[in-house]
Amino acid sequence: MKRLLLTGSALALVGLGGFLVITRPAHVDPTAVAALTGDATRGENLFWLGGCAACHAAEKAEGDALKVLSGGKAFVTQFGTFRAPNISSDPDHGIGTWTNAQFADALLHGTSPDNQHFYPAFPYASYTRASLQEAVDLRAYMATLPASNTPNMPHDVGFPFNQRWLLGGWKLLFMSDAPVVTGTLNEQETQGRHMVEGLGHCSECHTPRNPLGGLDKSAWLSGAPNPDGKGRIPNITPAKLDWSESDIADYLKTGFTPEFDSAGGSMVEVVTNLSHLSDEERLAIAAYLKRVPPIAN
Amino acid sequence: MKKIALLALVAALPAFATFAQETRSPFADTVEIRHGLMLQMAADLGKLGAIAKGQTPYDAATATKSAANLAAIASVISMDQFPAGSEVDAAPDSFALPAIWTNPDDFAAKITGLNDAASFMVAAAGKDASSIKGVMANLGGACGSCHKAYRQPEE
Repeated sequence: MKRLLLTGSALALVGLGGFLVITRPAHVDPTAVAALTGDATRGENLFWLGGCAACHAAEKAEGDALKVLSGGKAFVTQFGTFRAPNISSDPDHGIGTWTNAQFADALLHGTSPDNQHFYPAFPYASYTRASLQEAVDLRAYMATLPASNTPNMPHDVGFPFNQRWLLGGWKLLFMSDAPVVTGTLNEQETQGRHMVEGLGHCSECHTPRNPLGGLDKSAWLSGAPNPDGKGRIPNITPAKLDWSESDIADYLKTGFTPEFDSAGGSMVEVVTNLSHLSDEERLAIAAYLKRVPPIAN
Repeated sequence: MKKIALLALVAALPAFATFAQETRSPFADTVEIRHGLMLQMAADLGKLGAIAKGQTPYDAATATKSAANLAAIASVISMDQFPAGSEVDAAPDSFALPAIWTNPDDFAAKITGLNDAASFMVAAAGKDASSIKGVMANLGGACGSCHKAYRQPEE
């Protein structure tokens, strides 16, 4: 009996060890990062596409205040309340001292400089589709933004979700840099896919999630409950979104629907961000949306 | 038989009307006025938007009139159309969020923002299509900043 218990414990330990090895935080190749130079101009464009300010700027920030990434906004979820951290250029309270490799680890792999898993409230499961060059460009731009000495606030997350090592399992199950919409896409649609499925992280709100918080890729962009409360985030597959490509692109710039109602809710921030992109980029997003499998619901 | 049924129905109509009147919300007119103002803005934005999108040719008279309408409507909007108690779930058809009455100063600032954006459109409308296109996003931003904070999303 004792022996059986011992064997069982040993096996469990081996299993746990195996889990920890398989799910350990991933890193970018530091040599590859060192070979790259960041382009801050290109990075600014990626900053708006990525919507960094929507979460990391202070509550109700508008205009230039959107560039002060002091953090603090609260995100109430079924797993607990997450607080956006300070990611300004401040060396003590922000990420001013991070290396490019550490920044890319965070953005593309959800790995922190102290080798922990970030919570996926930070949409790295989408950002992982961005390129290493894009990560370095974004970093170059964010380094030019103001420093803020606002201290970080702790997340309020209970057991078992406060066990960050478990997030390695979550990543194993739900994180992949493979494209979701496959098949033959033309150049414009491919550009749109890279933006929508990657830094744009549209699916984080527009795609429903399973009970563990992973995206249901079989219902890609077909709408989901509104994380902010009442109502639903709309279905933007061609089954529901029947606007022309230029109407979609105009909406993403002005916030006006073809009927000249205006965007509301959290989409207003998205439009504010995307209005900084070029017409050509917004048209690429629209072209991609037309290629998403239609799902009626 | 059919005729009798029809007659009965016609006879019953005034009763229905009285019933409907009695249950009409005290904020029904207010909510209708709000929606009417928004719909008129949408109609004028539609004309300006079609020019901006190149769907209809630029016409100074049409554009100037629509921009003037927008500015006029913006000047009408105030707390007068938002009496306490006319919020979503309290008044039928209302989408107005209770935050309006807890942040009246910010709500007023959003209305000022709309007036400013409409005045830019007035200036652009007398020029050409590309000027109109140039201020469209600013105007949409003014609509959105208020709708984000103070309008209940529909879907």
